[in-house]
Amino acid sequence: MDTQEHQIDLGHLMAFDPLHHFPSPPPSREELVKECLQKGTVLVQLIADALFNLPSTEDIDGPLVKLPPPMTRLPREKHLPKPKPPTKWELFAKAKGIKNRKKDKIVYDEQTGTWKRRHGYDRVNDDKDIPIIEAKMTDEPGEDPFAKRQAEKRKRVEKHEKNRLQNLKQAAKVGALPSHIQLAATALPITGTQAAPKKASKNELQDIASMAAAATASGGKFDKKLLGEKPEKHKGKYRKFLPVVEGTGIGSQERQQTEKVLNRLISKNSHEILNVDKAINMYNVKKEKKRKNQRGKDSSTSSKLNPKKQLQKKSLKKGGSSKKGKSK
Amino acid sequence: MRPLDENETTALFEKLFKFTGNNLKNIVENPSYEGPDPNAGRYCFRLQKNRVYYVSESMVKRATNIGRAQLVSLGTCIGKFTKGGNFHLTVQSVNLLAANAKHKVWLKPTSEMSFLYGNHVLKGGLGRITENIVAGDGVVVFSMSDVPLGFGIAAKSTQDCRKLDPNGIVVLHQSDIGEYLRMEDEL
Repeated sequence: MDTQEHQIDLGHLMAFDPLHHFPSPPPSREELVKECLQKGTVLVQLIADALFNLPSTEDIDGPLVKLPPPMTRLPREKHLPKPKPPTKWELFAKAKGIKNRKKDKIVYDEQTGTWKRRHGYDRVNDDKDIPIIEAKMTDEPGEDPFAKRQAEKRKRVEKHEKNRLQNLKQAAKVGALPSHIQLAATALPITGTQAAPKKASKNELQDIASMAAAATASGGKFDKKLLGEKPEKHKGKYRKFLPVVEGTGIGSQERQQTEKVLNRLISKNSHEILNVDKAINMYNVKKEKKRKNQRGKDSSTSSKLNPKKQLQKKSLKKGGSSKKGKSK
Repeated sequence: MRPLDENETTALFEKLFKFTGNNLKNIVENPSYEGPDPNAGRYCFRLQKNRVYYVSESMVKRATNIGRAQLVSLGTCIGKFTKGGNFHLTVQSVNLLAANAKHKVWLKPTSEMSFLYGNHVLKGGLGRITENIVAGDGVVVFSMSDVPLGFGIAAKSTQDCRKLDPNGIVVLHQSDIGEYLRMEDEL
Protein backbone atom coordinates (compact mmCIF):
# COMPACT_ATOMS: atom_id res chain seq x y z
CA MET A 1 0.00 0.00 0.00
CA ASP A 2 1.87 3.09 -1.15
CA THR A 3 0.12 5.95 0.56
CA GLN A 4 2.80 8.50 -0.16
CA GLU A 5 2.19 9.03 -3.86
CA HIS A 6 -1.60 9.41 -3.71
CA GLN A 7 -2.75 12.89 -4.64
CA ILE A 8 -5.76 13.98 -2.67
CA ASP A 9 -7.68 17.09 -3.74
CA LEU A 10 -10.34 17.66 -1.09
CA GLY A 11 -11.81 20.69 -2.83
CA HIS A 12 -13.04 18.38 -5.60
CA LEU A 13 -13.29 15.31 -3.25
CA MET A 14 -10.81 13.54 -5.53
CA ALA A 15 -8.07 10.99 -4.87
CA PHE A 16 -5.65 10.06 -7.64
CA ASP A 17 -2.95 7.40 -7.75
CA PRO A 18 -0.49 8.34 -10.50
CA LEU A 19 1.62 5.22 -10.04
CA HIS A 20 -1.14 2.67 -10.64
CA HIS A 21 -0.81 0.30 -13.57
CA PHE A 22 -2.04 -3.20 -14.31
CA PRO A 23 0.96 -5.58 -14.34
CA SER A 24 -0.91 -7.74 -16.85
CA PRO A 25 -4.30 -7.29 -18.50
CA PRO A 26 -6.82 -9.09 -16.27
CA PRO A 27 -8.22 -12.31 -17.77
CA SER A 28 -11.93 -11.51 -17.66
CA ARG A 29 -14.33 -8.61 -17.25
CA GLU A 30 -15.30 -9.73 -13.75
CA GLU A 31 -11.63 -9.82 -12.70
CA LEU A 32 -11.13 -6.33 -14.07
CA VAL A 33 -14.22 -5.07 -12.24
CA LYS A 34 -13.06 -6.69 -8.98
CA GLU A 35 -9.60 -5.13 -9.18
CA CYS A 36 -11.02 -1.72 -10.02
CA LEU A 37 -13.40 -1.94 -7.07
CA GLN A 38 -10.57 -2.88 -4.74
CA LYS A 39 -8.44 0.01 -5.90
CA GLY A 40 -11.43 2.30 -5.69
CA THR A 41 -12.20 1.34 -2.10
CA VAL A 42 -8.62 2.12 -1.11
CA LEU A 43 -8.88 5.61 -2.63
CA VAL A 44 -12.32 6.31 -1.12
CA GLN A 45 -10.98 5.26 2.29
CA LEU A 46 -8.15 7.79 1.88
CA ILE A 47 -10.65 10.56 1.09
CA ALA A 48 -12.75 9.62 4.12
CA ASP A 49 -9.66 9.66 6.37
CA ALA A 50 -8.63 13.07 5.07
CA LEU A 51 -12.16 14.44 5.54
CA PHE A 52 -12.32 13.29 9.13
CA ASN A 53 -8.94 14.85 9.80
CA LEU A 54 -10.25 18.30 8.91
CA PRO A 55 -11.44 20.53 11.76
CA SER A 56 -15.23 20.14 12.10
CA THR A 57 -18.00 22.22 13.61
CA GLU A 58 -21.06 20.72 15.29
CA ASP A 59 -24.40 20.95 13.51
CA ILE A 60 -27.86 19.49 14.21
CA ASP A 61 -27.31 16.90 11.48
CA GLY A 62 -23.81 16.00 12.55
CA PRO A 63 -20.24 17.30 12.20
CA LEU A 64 -19.90 19.90 9.45
CA VAL A 65 -16.61 20.34 7.61
CA LYS A 66 -15.54 23.18 5.35
CA LEU A 67 -13.66 21.83 2.34
CA PRO A 68 -10.43 23.57 1.30
CA PRO A 69 -10.34 25.33 -2.10
CA PRO A 70 -9.59 22.90 -4.94
CA MET A 71 -6.03 22.47 -6.13
CA THR A 72 -6.51 20.95 -9.59
CA ARG A 73 -7.69 23.27 -12.31
CA LEU A 74 -10.39 21.81 -14.48
CA PRO A 75 -10.41 22.68 -18.19
CA ARG A 76 -12.90 25.15 -19.59
CA GLU A 77 -16.43 23.88 -20.04
CA LYS A 78 -17.37 26.15 -22.94
CA HIS A 79 -15.18 27.41 -25.78
CA LEU A 80 -13.33 30.73 -25.66
CA PRO A 81 -15.46 33.58 -26.99
CA LYS A 82 -14.71 34.20 -30.63
CA PRO A 83 -13.66 37.75 -31.58
CA LYS A 84 -16.64 39.48 -33.09
CA PRO A 85 -16.29 41.09 -36.51
CA PRO A 86 -16.13 44.93 -36.52
CA THR A 87 -19.50 46.64 -37.07
CA LYS A 88 -20.18 48.87 -40.04
CA TRP A 89 -19.62 52.01 -37.97
CA GLU A 90 -16.35 50.68 -36.57
CA LEU A 91 -15.06 50.02 -40.07
CA PHE A 92 -16.09 53.51 -41.18
CA ALA A 93 -14.56 55.15 -38.12
CA LYS A 94 -11.32 53.28 -38.62
CA ALA A 95 -11.18 54.28 -42.26
CA LYS A 96 -11.85 57.95 -41.51
CA GLY A 97 -9.74 58.01 -38.38
CA ILE A 98 -12.62 59.05 -36.10
CA LYS A 99 -11.87 58.53 -32.44
CA ASN A 100 -14.35 58.02 -29.63
CA ARG A 101 -14.68 61.02 -27.36
CA LYS A 102 -15.88 60.68 -23.80
CA LYS A 103 -19.15 62.58 -23.26
CA ASP A 104 -20.34 64.12 -20.02
CA LYS A 105 -23.58 63.11 -18.43
CA ILE A 106 -24.54 66.65 -17.46
CA VAL A 107 -24.47 69.36 -20.13
CA TYR A 108 -25.09 73.06 -19.91
CA ASP A 109 -28.35 74.09 -21.57
CA GLU A 110 -28.12 77.48 -23.28
CA GLN A 111 -31.88 77.94 -23.52
CA THR A 112 -32.73 77.68 -19.85
CA GLY A 113 -29.26 78.45 -18.53
CA THR A 114 -29.14 75.36 -16.29
CA TRP A 115 -27.20 72.11 -16.25
CA LYS A 116 -29.35 69.32 -17.64
CA ARG A 117 -28.62 65.68 -18.33
CA ARG A 118 -27.74 64.58 -21.83
CA HIS A 119 -30.24 61.69 -22.12
CA GLY A 120 -33.49 60.91 -20.31
CA TYR A 121 -36.10 62.93 -18.47
CA ASP A 122 -35.74 66.68 -18.88
CA ARG A 123 -32.85 66.39 -21.30
CA VAL A 124 -30.84 69.04 -23.07
CA ASN A 125 -31.90 69.18 -26.71
CA ASP A 126 -35.37 67.73 -26.48
CA ASP A 127 -37.72 68.06 -29.44
CA LYS A 128 -40.69 69.11 -27.35
CA ASP A 129 -38.82 72.07 -25.83
CA ILE A 130 -38.52 73.96 -29.10
CA PRO A 131 -41.10 76.80 -28.96
CA ILE A 132 -40.70 78.32 -32.40
CA ILE A 133 -39.36 76.96 -35.67
CA GLU A 134 -38.62 79.64 -38.25
CA ALA A 135 -40.06 79.04 -41.71
CA LYS A 136 -37.66 78.75 -44.58
CA MET A 137 -38.28 79.68 -48.21
CA THR A 138 -38.28 76.00 -49.22
CA ASP A 139 -41.14 75.11 -46.84
CA GLU A 140 -44.61 74.34 -48.19
CA PRO A 141 -47.52 76.22 -46.54
CA GLY A 142 -49.46 73.15 -45.29
CA GLU A 143 -46.62 71.27 -43.56
CA ASP A 144 -46.24 70.95 -39.81
CA PRO A 145 -42.52 71.41 -39.01
CA PHE A 146 -42.85 69.82 -35.57
CA ALA A 147 -44.45 66.70 -37.01
CA LYS A 148 -41.76 66.68 -39.65
CA ARG A 149 -39.05 66.66 -37.02
CA GLN A 150 -40.73 63.80 -35.17
CA ALA A 151 -41.07 61.74 -38.35
CA GLU A 152 -37.42 62.28 -39.18
CA LYS A 153 -36.40 61.18 -35.71
CA ARG A 154 -38.49 58.02 -36.02
CA LYS A 155 -36.87 57.23 -39.37
CA ARG A 156 -33.44 57.70 -37.87
CA VAL A 157 -34.23 55.37 -34.97
CA GLU A 158 -35.48 52.71 -37.37
CA LYS A 159 -32.33 53.00 -39.43
CA HIS A 160 -30.18 52.59 -36.32
CA GLU A 161 -32.13 49.48 -35.30
CA LYS A 162 -31.74 48.00 -38.77
CA ASN A 163 -28.02 48.53 -38.69
CA ARG A 164 -27.75 46.96 -35.24
CA LEU A 165 -29.58 43.85 -36.45
CA GLN A 166 -27.35 43.67 -39.52
CA ASN A 167 -24.28 43.79 -37.29
CA LEU A 168 -25.66 40.98 -35.16
CA LYS A 169 -26.33 38.90 -38.27
CA GLN A 170 -22.75 39.39 -39.39
CA ALA A 171 -21.55 38.28 -35.98
CA ALA A 172 -23.86 35.27 -36.01
CA LYS A 173 -22.46 34.22 -39.40
CA VAL A 174 -19.01 33.95 -37.84
CA GLY A 175 -20.40 32.42 -34.66
CA ALA A 176 -19.52 35.33 -32.40
CA LEU A 177 -22.99 36.33 -31.15
CA PRO A 178 -22.87 37.89 -27.67
CA SER A 179 -24.02 35.27 -25.15
CA HIS A 180 -27.17 36.98 -23.91
CA ILE A 181 -28.54 37.24 -27.43
CA GLN A 182 -27.57 33.63 -28.16
CA LEU A 183 -29.56 32.52 -25.09
CA ALA A 184 -32.57 34.62 -26.01
CA ALA A 185 -32.65 33.16 -29.50
CA THR A 186 -32.49 29.48 -28.50
CA ALA A 187 -33.98 29.34 -24.97
CA LEU A 188 -37.42 27.93 -24.15
CA PRO A 189 -40.09 30.64 -24.09
CA ILE A 190 -41.52 31.59 -20.71
CA THR A 191 -44.95 30.07 -20.23
CA GLY A 192 -47.58 32.51 -21.30
CA THR A 193 -45.42 34.55 -23.63
CA GLN A 194 -45.39 33.93 -27.33
CA ALA A 195 -42.72 31.63 -28.68
CA ALA A 196 -40.75 32.70 -31.73
CA PRO A 197 -42.34 31.15 -34.84
CA LYS A 198 -40.40 28.03 -35.86
CA LYS A 199 -39.26 27.60 -39.45
CA ALA A 200 -41.04 24.71 -41.15
CA SER A 201 -38.75 21.90 -42.28
CA LYS A 202 -38.73 20.49 -45.81
CA ASN A 203 -40.85 17.46 -44.87
CA GLU A 204 -43.39 19.59 -43.06
CA LEU A 205 -43.70 21.86 -46.07
CA GLN A 206 -44.20 18.87 -48.35
CA ASP A 207 -47.01 17.55 -46.14
CA ILE A 208 -48.68 20.92 -46.09
CA ALA A 209 -48.32 21.25 -49.86
CA SER A 210 -49.99 17.87 -50.41
CA MET A 211 -52.83 18.91 -48.08
CA ALA A 212 -53.26 22.12 -50.05
CA ALA A 213 -53.25 20.22 -53.34
CA ALA A 214 -56.30 18.27 -52.14
CA ALA A 215 -58.21 21.48 -51.40
CA THR A 216 -59.91 21.62 -54.78
CA ALA A 217 -63.58 21.16 -55.65
CA SER A 218 -63.14 17.45 -56.36
CA GLY A 219 -60.67 16.78 -53.57
CA GLY A 220 -57.65 16.73 -55.85
CA LYS A 221 -58.77 13.47 -57.50
CA PHE A 222 -58.50 14.55 -61.13
CA ASP A 223 -55.39 16.71 -60.87
CA LYS A 224 -52.19 15.63 -62.53
CA LYS A 225 -49.51 14.89 -60.00
CA LEU A 226 -46.45 17.10 -60.28
CA LEU A 227 -42.90 15.79 -60.06
CA GLY A 228 -41.77 15.23 -56.51
CA GLU A 229 -45.23 15.72 -54.96
CA LYS A 230 -45.81 13.39 -52.04
CA PRO A 231 -49.15 11.56 -51.67
CA GLU A 232 -51.27 12.64 -48.71
CA LYS A 233 -50.33 11.24 -45.32
CA HIS A 234 -53.86 10.97 -43.82
CA LYS A 235 -56.40 10.32 -46.50
CA GLY A 236 -59.79 11.18 -45.07
CA LYS A 237 -60.15 9.38 -41.77
CA TYR A 238 -57.94 10.10 -38.79
CA ARG A 239 -59.34 7.35 -36.53
CA LYS A 240 -60.28 3.82 -37.39
CA PHE A 241 -63.15 2.12 -35.56
CA LEU A 242 -64.33 -1.46 -35.57
CA PRO A 243 -67.36 -2.13 -37.80
CA VAL A 244 -70.67 -1.66 -36.00
CA VAL A 245 -72.11 -4.98 -37.09
CA GLU A 246 -70.04 -7.80 -38.52
CA GLY A 247 -72.00 -10.87 -39.55
CA THR A 248 -74.93 -11.13 -37.18
CA GLY A 249 -73.86 -8.65 -34.54
CA ILE A 250 -70.56 -9.21 -32.80
CA GLY A 251 -67.78 -9.87 -35.24
CA SER A 252 -64.49 -11.63 -34.68
CA GLN A 253 -62.59 -8.35 -34.39
CA GLU A 254 -64.78 -7.04 -31.62
CA ARG A 255 -64.70 -10.36 -29.84
CA GLN A 256 -60.91 -10.33 -29.99
CA GLN A 257 -60.70 -6.82 -28.63
CA THR A 258 -63.05 -7.43 -25.70
CA GLU A 259 -61.29 -10.68 -24.88
CA LYS A 260 -57.93 -8.98 -24.90
CA VAL A 261 -59.06 -6.21 -22.58
CA LEU A 262 -60.87 -8.62 -20.28
CA ASN A 263 -57.89 -10.94 -19.97
CA ARG A 264 -55.54 -8.07 -19.31
CA LEU A 265 -57.79 -6.77 -16.56
CA ILE A 266 -58.30 -10.15 -14.92
CA SER A 267 -54.61 -11.01 -14.99
CA LYS A 268 -53.79 -7.61 -13.49
CA ASN A 269 -56.09 -8.33 -10.56
CA SER A 270 -55.39 -12.03 -10.30
CA HIS A 271 -53.62 -11.50 -6.98
CA GLU A 272 -56.96 -10.65 -5.41
CA ILE A 273 -58.66 -13.90 -6.37
CA LEU A 274 -57.09 -15.85 -3.55
CA ASN A 275 -58.04 -14.30 -0.23
CA VAL A 276 -54.97 -15.23 1.78
CA ASP A 277 -56.40 -14.52 5.22
CA LYS A 278 -59.53 -16.53 4.58
CA ALA A 279 -57.47 -19.41 3.20
CA ILE A 280 -55.24 -19.37 6.30
CA ASN A 281 -58.26 -19.33 8.60
CA MET A 282 -59.89 -22.21 6.80
CA TYR A 283 -56.67 -24.19 6.90
CA ASN A 284 -56.24 -23.58 10.62
CA VAL A 285 -59.83 -24.56 11.37
CA LYS A 286 -59.35 -27.76 9.41
CA LYS A 287 -56.21 -28.56 11.35
CA GLU A 288 -57.95 -27.97 14.66
CA LYS A 289 -60.83 -30.21 13.67
CA LYS A 290 -58.43 -32.95 12.65
CA ARG A 291 -56.57 -32.66 15.93
CA LYS A 292 -59.80 -32.83 17.93
CA ASN A 293 -60.97 -35.90 16.04
CA GLN A 294 -57.66 -37.62 16.64
CA ARG A 295 -57.73 -36.78 20.34
CA GLY A 296 -61.30 -37.98 20.52
CA LYS A 297 -60.29 -41.29 18.90
CA ASP A 298 -57.34 -41.73 21.28
CA SER A 299 -59.43 -41.08 24.40
CA SER A 300 -62.15 -43.43 23.20
CA THR A 301 -59.63 -46.29 23.06
CA SER A 302 -58.55 -45.60 26.69
CA SER A 303 -61.97 -45.30 28.46
CA LYS A 304 -65.51 -45.56 27.29
CA LEU A 305 -67.12 -43.25 29.85
CA ASN A 306 -65.18 -40.10 29.13
CA PRO A 307 -66.70 -39.01 25.79
CA LYS A 308 -70.17 -39.11 27.32
CA LYS A 309 -69.05 -36.93 30.18
CA GLN A 310 -67.67 -34.43 27.68
CA LEU A 311 -71.00 -34.33 25.86
CA GLN A 312 -72.84 -33.64 29.10
CA LYS A 313 -70.47 -30.80 29.87
CA LYS A 314 -71.06 -29.28 26.43
CA SER A 315 -74.84 -29.31 26.82
CA LEU A 316 -74.56 -27.65 30.21
CA LYS A 317 -72.39 -24.97 28.74
CA LYS A 318 -74.84 -24.37 25.92
CA GLY A 319 -77.73 -23.97 28.36
CA GLY A 320 -75.66 -21.63 30.48
CA SER A 321 -74.72 -19.32 27.66
CA SER A 322 -78.25 -19.07 26.31
CA LYS A 323 -79.57 -18.19 29.77
CA LYS A 324 -77.06 -15.36 29.92
CA GLY A 325 -78.29 -14.02 26.59
CA LYS A 326 -81.93 -13.99 27.71
CA SER A 327 -81.19 -12.21 30.95
CA LYS A 328 -79.74 -9.26 28.97
CA MET B 1 -73.56 4.37 -33.00
CA ARG B 2 -70.16 2.78 -32.97
CA PRO B 3 -68.36 0.11 -30.99
CA LEU B 4 -65.92 1.20 -28.30
CA ASP B 5 -62.25 1.44 -29.10
CA GLU B 6 -59.63 -0.14 -26.90
CA ASN B 7 -59.09 2.69 -24.44
CA GLU B 8 -62.79 3.18 -23.96
CA THR B 9 -63.33 -0.54 -23.43
CA THR B 10 -60.56 -0.58 -20.85
CA ALA B 11 -62.13 2.32 -18.96
CA LEU B 12 -65.55 0.66 -19.04
CA PHE B 13 -64.30 -2.73 -17.91
CA GLU B 14 -62.23 -1.25 -15.12
CA LYS B 15 -65.25 0.52 -13.70
CA LEU B 16 -67.37 -2.60 -14.00
CA PHE B 17 -64.62 -4.72 -12.47
CA LYS B 18 -64.72 -2.66 -9.32
CA PHE B 19 -68.28 -3.83 -8.73
CA THR B 20 -68.33 -7.29 -10.23
CA GLY B 21 -64.82 -8.68 -9.96
CA ASN B 22 -64.43 -11.82 -12.00
CA ASN B 23 -68.16 -11.93 -12.72
CA LEU B 24 -67.32 -9.43 -15.43
CA LYS B 25 -66.87 -12.47 -17.63
CA ASN B 26 -70.54 -13.33 -17.11
CA ILE B 27 -71.57 -9.86 -18.16
CA VAL B 28 -69.51 -9.91 -21.32
CA GLU B 29 -70.39 -13.46 -22.33
CA ASN B 30 -74.05 -13.40 -21.35
CA PRO B 31 -76.15 -15.43 -23.78
CA SER B 32 -79.09 -13.50 -25.17
CA TYR B 33 -82.19 -15.14 -26.58
CA GLU B 34 -83.78 -12.07 -28.02
CA GLY B 35 -83.66 -12.37 -31.78
CA PRO B 36 -85.23 -14.85 -34.20
CA ASP B 37 -81.99 -16.82 -34.27
CA PRO B 38 -82.34 -20.02 -32.20
CA ASN B 39 -78.65 -19.84 -31.24
CA ALA B 40 -77.97 -17.59 -28.30
CA GLY B 41 -76.20 -14.44 -29.34
CA ARG B 42 -74.11 -12.26 -27.05
CA TYR B 43 -74.37 -8.82 -25.60
CA CYS B 44 -72.23 -6.01 -26.95
CA PHE B 45 -71.40 -2.48 -25.92
CA ARG B 46 -72.15 0.34 -28.28
CA LEU B 47 -71.48 4.03 -28.02
CA GLN B 48 -74.03 6.59 -29.12
CA LYS B 49 -73.51 10.26 -28.26
CA ASN B 50 -71.08 9.54 -25.41
CA ARG B 51 -73.45 7.03 -23.79
CA VAL B 52 -72.57 3.37 -23.54
CA TYR B 53 -75.39 0.90 -24.19
CA TYR B 54 -75.45 -2.80 -23.34
CA VAL B 55 -77.34 -4.36 -26.24
CA SER B 56 -77.88 -7.83 -27.59
CA GLU B 57 -76.51 -8.66 -31.02
CA SER B 58 -79.83 -8.98 -32.80
CA MET B 59 -80.92 -5.58 -31.47
CA VAL B 60 -77.71 -3.98 -32.70
CA LYS B 61 -78.23 -5.36 -36.16
CA ARG B 62 -81.69 -3.87 -36.28
CA ALA B 63 -80.61 -0.56 -34.86
CA THR B 64 -78.31 0.00 -37.82
CA ASN B 65 -81.44 0.74 -39.80
CA ILE B 66 -82.02 3.92 -37.82
CA GLY B 67 -80.01 6.97 -38.71
CA ARG B 68 -77.48 8.41 -36.32
CA ALA B 69 -79.41 11.59 -35.66
CA GLN B 70 -82.67 9.73 -35.11
CA LEU B 71 -81.36 6.99 -32.82
CA VAL B 72 -82.10 7.96 -29.20
CA SER B 73 -81.37 4.85 -27.21
CA LEU B 74 -80.93 1.11 -27.58
CA GLY B 75 -80.78 -1.73 -25.09
CA THR B 76 -79.77 -0.61 -21.59
CA CYS B 77 -77.71 2.48 -21.03
CA ILE B 78 -75.06 1.61 -18.48
CA GLY B 79 -73.08 4.81 -18.32
CA LYS B 80 -71.60 7.74 -20.11
CA PHE B 81 -68.25 9.20 -21.02
CA THR B 82 -67.53 12.70 -19.81
CA LYS B 83 -65.97 15.43 -21.92
CA GLY B 84 -62.67 14.66 -20.27
CA GLY B 85 -62.79 11.03 -21.38
CA ASN B 86 -63.66 9.50 -18.00
CA PHE B 87 -66.39 6.91 -17.71
CA HIS B 88 -69.20 7.18 -15.13
CA LEU B 89 -71.75 4.45 -14.43
CA THR B 90 -75.33 5.70 -14.30
CA VAL B 91 -78.28 4.36 -12.33
CA GLN B 92 -79.63 2.39 -15.28
CA SER B 93 -76.85 -0.16 -14.79
CA VAL B 94 -78.13 -1.11 -11.32
CA ASN B 95 -79.92 -4.26 -12.40
CA LEU B 96 -76.95 -5.49 -14.40
CA LEU B 97 -74.57 -4.82 -11.52
CA ALA B 98 -76.89 -6.32 -8.93
CA ALA B 99 -77.01 -9.62 -10.77
CA ASN B 100 -73.23 -9.88 -10.85
CA ALA B 101 -72.13 -7.96 -7.79
CA LYS B 102 -69.31 -9.21 -5.62
CA HIS B 103 -69.83 -6.92 -2.63
CA LYS B 104 -73.31 -6.19 -1.34
CA VAL B 105 -74.77 -4.11 1.43
CA TRP B 106 -78.31 -4.39 2.80
CA LEU B 107 -80.02 -1.34 4.29
CA LYS B 108 -82.49 -1.22 7.15
CA PRO B 109 -85.95 -0.03 6.12
CA THR B 110 -85.56 3.18 8.14
CA SER B 111 -82.57 4.41 6.19
CA GLU B 112 -83.72 3.37 2.73
CA MET B 113 -85.36 6.73 2.07
CA SER B 114 -82.27 8.60 3.15
CA PHE B 115 -80.19 6.72 0.62
CA LEU B 116 -82.78 7.25 -2.10
CA TYR B 117 -82.53 10.98 -1.56
CA GLY B 118 -78.84 10.83 -2.35
CA ASN B 119 -77.21 10.65 1.07
CA HIS B 120 -74.37 8.33 1.98
CA VAL B 121 -75.00 5.14 3.94
CA LEU B 122 -74.26 5.53 7.65
CA LYS B 123 -73.37 2.69 9.92
CA GLY B 124 -76.63 3.03 11.80
CA GLY B 125 -78.56 2.20 8.64
CA LEU B 126 -76.55 -0.88 7.78
CA GLY B 127 -78.39 -4.18 7.96
CA ARG B 128 -76.02 -6.73 6.47
CA ILE B 129 -72.71 -6.48 4.73
CA THR B 130 -70.67 -9.05 2.82
CA GLU B 131 -67.30 -10.11 4.17
CA ASN B 132 -63.93 -9.06 2.81
CA ILE B 133 -64.79 -5.65 1.51
CA VAL B 134 -61.74 -3.43 1.10
CA ALA B 135 -62.03 0.35 1.29
CA GLY B 136 -62.45 1.74 -2.21
CA ASP B 137 -64.34 -1.29 -3.56
CA GLY B 138 -67.54 -0.95 -5.54
CA VAL B 139 -70.60 -1.97 -3.54
CA VAL B 140 -74.21 -2.54 -4.61
CA VAL B 141 -76.83 -1.38 -2.12
CA PHE B 142 -79.94 -3.51 -1.53
CA SER B 143 -82.97 -3.16 0.65
CA MET B 144 -83.80 -5.91 3.15
CA SER B 145 -86.15 -7.43 0.57
CA ASP B 146 -83.31 -7.78 -1.93
CA VAL B 147 -84.41 -4.93 -4.16
CA PRO B 148 -81.36 -3.19 -5.66
CA LEU B 149 -81.42 0.46 -4.59
CA GLY B 150 -78.23 1.76 -6.09
CA PHE B 151 -74.48 1.53 -5.81
CA GLY B 152 -71.53 3.29 -4.29
CA ILE B 153 -67.96 2.99 -3.10
CA ALA B 154 -67.06 1.40 0.22
CA ALA B 155 -65.55 3.95 2.55
CA LYS B 156 -64.26 1.42 5.05
CA SER B 157 -63.42 -2.27 5.04
CA THR B 158 -65.74 -4.76 6.72
CA GLN B 159 -63.49 -5.02 9.79
CA ASP B 160 -63.35 -1.25 10.23
CA CYS B 161 -67.12 -1.00 9.83
CA ARG B 162 -67.59 -2.98 13.02
CA LYS B 163 -65.51 -0.51 15.00
CA LEU B 164 -67.21 2.62 13.62
CA ASP B 165 -69.58 4.80 15.60
CA PRO B 166 -73.19 4.78 14.32
CA ASN B 167 -72.83 8.03 12.39
CA GLY B 168 -69.81 7.02 10.39
CA ILE B 169 -70.09 6.76 6.62
CA VAL B 170 -69.88 3.21 5.37
CA VAL B 171 -70.75 3.55 1.68
CA LEU B 172 -70.25 6.68 -0.39
CA HIS B 173 -73.30 7.20 -2.57
CA GLN B 174 -72.76 7.15 -6.31
CA SER B 175 -76.14 6.40 -7.84
CA ASP B 176 -79.58 5.38 -6.60
CA ILE B 177 -82.95 4.63 -8.16
CA GLY B 178 -84.34 7.89 -6.80
CA GLU B 179 -82.42 9.53 -9.61
CA TYR B 180 -85.10 8.39 -12.02
CA LEU B 181 -87.27 11.06 -10.45
CA ARG B 182 -84.68 13.62 -9.43
CA MET B 183 -82.53 13.70 -12.53
CA GLU B 184 -85.03 12.66 -15.14
CA ASP B 185 -83.63 15.07 -17.70
CA GLU B 186 -80.04 14.02 -17.34
CA LEU B 187 -80.48 10.28 -17.73
